[in-house]
Amino acid sequence: MVTIGVPRALLYYIYFPMWQRFLTDLGCKVVLSPPTNERILNLGTQATVDEVCAPVKVAFGHVLDLADKVDYVFVPRLVSVEPRAYICPKLMGLPDMVKHSGNKMPELLSPDVDLSRGKMSIARALSEARHTLGKSVWPTLRAFYLSLGENHKVEQRLMSGLTPEEAFHGTAWRRTPGVRMKVAVLGHPYNVYDPVLSMSLIEQLRRSGVDVVTAEMLPQHKIDVGLQGLSKELFWTLSKKVLGAGLYFVKTPREVDGIIVLSSFGCGLESLIADLLERNARRSEFPFMHLIGDEHSGEAGVVTRVEAFIDMVKGRSEHASNISSHGNLQHRPTSTT
Amino acid sequence: MQSKVYLGIDVGSVSTNVVASNASGEVLGTLYLKTQGQPILAIQQGIKEISALIPQDAEIVGVGTTGSGRMLAAAIVGADVVKNEITAHATATLRCVPGTRTILEIGGQDSKIIILNHGVVTDFAMNTVCAAGTGSFLDRQASRLGIPIEELGQLALNAKTPTRIAGRCAVFAESDMVHKQQVGHSTSDIVAGLCEALVRNYLNNVAKGKGIVSPVVFQGGVAANVGIRRAFEEALGLPVHVPEHYSVMGALGACYLAEQIKTVSTFRGFDVADADCQATGVSCTGCGNNCEVVQFSLNGEIVAFWGDRCGKYGHNRVVASN
Repeated sequence: MVTIGVPRALLYYIYFPMWQRFLTDLGCKVVLSPPTNERILNLGTQATVDEVCAPVKVAFGHVLDLADKVDYVFVPRLVSVEPRAYICPKLMGLPDMVKHSGNKMPELLSPDVDLSRGKMSIARALSEARHTLGKSVWPTLRAFYLSLGENHKVEQRLMSGLTPEEAFHGTAWRRTPGVRMKVAVLGHPYNVYDPVLSMSLIEQLRRSGVDVVTAEMLPQHKIDVGLQGLSKELFWTLSKKVLGAGLYFVKTPREVDGIIVLSSFGCGLESLIADLLERNARRSEFPFMHLIGDEHSGEAGVVTRVEAFIDMVKGRSEHASNISSHGNLQHRPTSTT
Repeated sequence: MQSKVYLGIDVGSVSTNVVASNASGEVLGTLYLKTQGQPILAIQQGIKEISALIPQDAEIVGVGTTGSGRMLAAAIVGADVVKNEITAHATATLRCVPGTRTILEIGGQDSKIIILNHGVVTDFAMNTVCAAGTGSFLDRQASRLGIPIEELGQLALNAKTPTRIAGRCAVFAESDMVHKQQVGHSTSDIVAGLCEALVRNYLNNVAKGKGIVSPVVFQGGVAANVGIRRAFEEALGLPVHVPEHYSVMGALGACYLAEQIKTVSTFRGFDVADADCQATGVSCTGCGNNCEVVQFSLNGEIVAFWGDRCGKYGHNRVVASN
């Protein structure tokens, strides 16, 4: 049986259920790399060029981790998954970076998907995968069609407040009793859910009694509400979701008590999106914090900022229950019943 | 009657500060000690020295710690409250200067801005990429120019035509200063230019986009520098107030935060100043994270762990023990 390694990085956090079903139905054994740890980060940073962001370095580390355990490592090149919007070029470049890094590299299974050029690119990607794995046409098509529904199956779990990891693998977290606030953690999924890149931000918040909601836990129609009224349509698929979710929360302030944006140092997309969000949040006097991560391993900086942010949100909401944000005593209509 | 005393300890990268206050919030004594890379010794020294500044029969009813070494300090002294620096600074400033709207804080390696409205923190930021705008950078430049750090500010005030220094990066600033020296600018003009560069860097990076509203309070070790203070006033077009205890505001905030505890203090007593404190780094091999776990023991007895991601050791974390 052919074994295929899937790196627990980058688009894994979005497409894993689909990939897993497709590869399993084709008769392959899927091996998932472990959650990112220091060793994987080190493997990745040592092998990649300096310019790429930390998430790509981490993905590289996952590929290396899988290298001698599997026949192929699955690193698809998703150029575009919807009309007129694209995936980040650094992510697209990963298969080439792996191939040309000069290290001894595993065999890659890396079909190209570019839906901006029409649906035919799916046929080409499937045919490429089929030839590499030595499968015939019909089983491949069947596996593909069956895999399409897989992501919908986890949707319910995501909407209930589980992270992709929890939704994919059926684990759950126990809500800390006495939750008093809800904070949105926004950013590219491979940052937000990666235990090393995010410095366990979600864990840290939950441990402090804060409910976390992310863009992945939000139904599409709410993200569309957020994106309404933008002067120009964004052409980055991943950032669209982040911005849409953020603007939705700013527009409907009762949904969360604050927004934390987590991005990678050197991310061009987030440098625009985070700033755009910050301006909107500030205009509405909405608690907002932007954290920029890189290859750090010292958590102290994040811990301090997150603690301060929680204190700030608490202080503001206690205050707001007495006085409105404009400084006048809140007018309490006398009951007429 | 025994007088009730609160202690606040702020362990920063450059200085370790200790403040004692009484039940009505009056400051009984402040200490500003250099950490010099030895936080345990600095904390013990601080405990020893502060005990001389408070009444003999005083009862310690609450201890708060803050700063990057707050966990360590809490483990040593048995703190009741362990708080981040933002909250500690805001708490102290609001008590000392009621009505403050903006706090500019520049310390050894951190700089922060805190925006307040009606006595509540509404926004804050800390420096991100670079420490160009902080105290250790000024320290280094002062020693390179052969000027005691205390005189740097006064020297800047004497400048007639401040030179322009690149402030974005500590390395660029230094090479720019060397260049200006070689061209023949006076030291005071260069130092004044350095102050302006630091303020420009702070306003562009830390305070980026935040509305700075009067009253503005400037604190942290760098607030001792009158040159920086004037550069802030000029850049903002607002008066900048430096509070009396500017250099120990974090510790003072920790003091005030300790007032809120309702239980009996877990303070270990002043004897910890002479106790045998050992922090040992253990590299955990339980998983690929290889966490650097710190095991802290007091007189041979392990009292606290920290630094593990999974919480395996944290269960034994006894920060507050009797």
